[in-house]
Amino acid sequence: MPKIFFATDLHGSETCWRKFLNAARFYDCDVLICGGDMTGKAIIPLVEEDGHFTYTLSADQQQVSAAGVGEVEAHIRRKGYYPLRVTPERLAELDESSQVRADTFRQVMLDGVQRWMDLADEKLAGTGVRIFVCPGNDDEFEVDDVIRRAKSVELGEGRLVDIDGFTMISSGWSNPTPWNTHREESEEKLAERIDAMASQVKDPRTAVFNLHCPPYRSGLDEAPAIDADLKLMHGGRALRPVGSKAVRDAIDRYQPLLSLHGHIHESKGAVTLGKTLCINPGSAYEEGMLMAAIIGLDTKKGIKSYQLVNG
Amino acid sequence: MAETTMGSAGPARPSLFLRNATGLVKAWSTFDAFVYSFWSVNLITLGLYGMSFVYTVPDGQLLAGILLFGVLTTFLVITYAMLVSVMPRTGGDYAWQSRVLGGGLGFVLSITGWWFTLFLWAPIYANILVVQFFSPLAYTLGSSGVATFFTSPNGIFVSCLIVLAFVSVVVTMGMETYARIQKICFWIGLGGLVVVCGLLLFASQSDFQSAYNREAASLFGASGNAYQATIDAAAKGGFAGSDFGHFAFGPILLLLPWLAFYLLWPNWGATLYGEVRGAKDIRKPFWSMFWGLWVTVALVALVVLLIVKTIGWNFYQAANAAYWNSIFVAGSPAPPVPIWPYPVMFAGWLIDNSFFQAVLIIVMGLWFFGWAGTLFLSSTRVIFAAAFDRVLPSWAANISAKRRVPYGSLILMIVPSIVISAIYAYKPSFTSVFLDATAVLALTFFATVVAAIILPWRRKDLYDASPIASWKVAGVPAITVVGVITGLFLLFMLYEWSFNAADLYGTTFQATPNSVYYFLATYIVAVVIYVAARIIRKNQGIDLARIHHEIPVE
Repeated sequence: MPKIFFATDLHGSETCWRKFLNAARFYDCDVLICGGDMTGKAIIPLVEEDGHFTYTLSADQQQVSAAGVGEVEAHIRRKGYYPLRVTPERLAELDESSQVRADTFRQVMLDGVQRWMDLADEKLAGTGVRIFVCPGNDDEFEVDDVIRRAKSVELGEGRLVDIDGFTMISSGWSNPTPWNTHREESEEKLAERIDAMASQVKDPRTAVFNLHCPPYRSGLDEAPAIDADLKLMHGGRALRPVGSKAVRDAIDRYQPLLSLHGHIHESKGAVTLGKTLCINPGSAYEEGMLMAAIIGLDTKKGIKSYQLVNG
Repeated sequence: MAETTMGSAGPARPSLFLRNATGLVKAWSTFDAFVYSFWSVNLITLGLYGMSFVYTVPDGQLLAGILLFGVLTTFLVITYAMLVSVMPRTGGDYAWQSRVLGGGLGFVLSITGWWFTLFLWAPIYANILVVQFFSPLAYTLGSSGVATFFTSPNGIFVSCLIVLAFVSVVVTMGMETYARIQKICFWIGLGGLVVVCGLLLFASQSDFQSAYNREAASLFGASGNAYQATIDAAAKGGFAGSDFGHFAFGPILLLLPWLAFYLLWPNWGATLYGEVRGAKDIRKPFWSMFWGLWVTVALVALVVLLIVKTIGWNFYQAANAAYWNSIFVAGSPAPPVPIWPYPVMFAGWLIDNSFFQAVLIIVMGLWFFGWAGTLFLSSTRVIFAAAFDRVLPSWAANISAKRRVPYGSLILMIVPSIVISAIYAYKPSFTSVFLDATAVLALTFFATVVAAIILPWRRKDLYDASPIASWKVAGVPAITVVGVITGLFLLFMLYEWSFNAADLYGTTFQATPNSVYYFLATYIVAVVIYVAARIIRKNQGIDLARIHHEIPVE
């Protein structure tokens, strides 16, 4: 019977990705599922001048020699940022042109995902562990192609996948957010997208819905309230439900055995909606901590056990 | 396609490029966070209530004590701000203790502090509501029957139920709505405070004596010079007088455990949400807590000086001594004004108008209603966290589908609180247990501070990746140095609460065995819950020990 390790919203943290891959052996799991939003949010430029590199990390400006820059780059990647070696001229170009920034971001993100796929091959090829990745709303569409080409990692988006007798559907799309990210659409379209997969599931008692966006008003979708200027309101204490109504409707209607979500990092939790156990393990990628869920499935018992961990 | 954005750490050239991505928000307003911190060290509710006990240290120079406490608590603020900067998402004593000290110890310490001890605060809040709102308002409006009812066991229990109902309503309506109410209460309450300070500033001590004697006769039927009679009543109960100008270092230190009752909580709101653009930022949480603490310290100092000027320090101390001794010390005479010496009410008496006095009490009551609603906020979060860790049953984290009421955690808070409230109301011999409520929270903070001290070694990975990793004092991590100072401060108070030779705080182990048994029992219950959960979950194939196990990176 499958033992699933589910983590999500790693946002470029190489520490978390490495832990994700190592979790198979650490927790004795045979299925790894990454729920989306793999790519990072920031580039740290390392400016090459006079034989050394200057960069700013955690508000501290630092210098490193050419010999030590590799180590600094690895450190930056572990924190979830993309290091980028630039000349002062290239830095100015990035600063001035939004198109150049967008192109550069895309390239460093795709390079990063490719490196992660290579790491997966290196660590888990031939072990029998299945790895599923379903890019989330923050991931550009080109990420899918990189995953499709990977040897050890399977792309989840838009597919029905059999996992030892359980059927998993996946989507990284979300309802609209204030950030206008890559995979957002109206609740109606999201409902159609989910329905196109869910309607093909033969038995909801063995179904797993791997949907990046959590169900609306489930307690797994509570995000800090922000104003129109993206500023946290009421000192960050006021929370609002921001999940998807389409996801909620799909769970209420189809009642799968298990639903896996992410998207709202602060809203870690496990709740039951009817017959469905819904889990959002949360995310603390910027601390290098891998928040995850371990779920034991059994064709007779359904959910044999589940646990949220901070690995 | 999402737009990319650029961030800069310095004016010279960009040091960080950000793209649009979910969750990247701008920092919360420091003012909003300050308001929350400011409410936590509530000048009026906790402050005046706590200040009414400092007569037990008559030689303690309160102004110096407040300033010293502010300085020492600043180290607590720095410690917590540093912890927030290292572990921002998972902030909170439970998470910090669990991840640094271990799951079992973290659970026992935080569940005792943030769950079991918060039961005790419901009656404390209720008592503050009685002495600062129901009683003075009822007397002012001429309803002495209502006022005396609220001092009876039934009245105290009813006020506890009112507090619990109010807290439940706030939890049900959610923090966003309550935060709006808090802001309204904040501004109107501040307006009321300005009026109170103005009245005390522009009146003389003889004005106050006349007003006091007038209202003592009018509201309480006291005859003659009630001002002097109050001082005499205190003297008969053993109070030898207090000189505000007296300065001695030892007694100042003895004031600290009393001041902790209201000044130890600026870190109450340390757990703030959101991923701030750029990097983890220590400044925001620090300044919000710092200003919450120091604005309160400044206002307390102002109020104290105005009390000294207009009410008279010796009289104020005597009034408190006479009131509390008539309750706690057998044989002490009742004061001529048998009501808690509420400086707001005293200020109102300077205007000979019952309507004005009542309005002032109601307006200043907003300091209670803007503050009390968050009583169980931290508790429900700790219960949720423990339920998600599978230490508590999953129903403890259930939320109703329609109104999003966390009914599981509310039941776990409200039901025991009702029982504890009944004990408080009907079993006066358990009073010391309630006096210990501050000490047990201080113990919880102490455990968090220990976690901070050892963090650079116990969670080297987290520490090294944090913005404070390079902060050192003589080669020692700054968080360790600051934590040690904070720890010594907390240890001093814990020692005084537990072993003070004169039992100044009514909480020593020797004098209050009930209290010792109660808290011992709570720690034992917490251990039993954790051990039982370990066994039950193990049988379900779940190993609780691995919740915080670090997965190897390489």
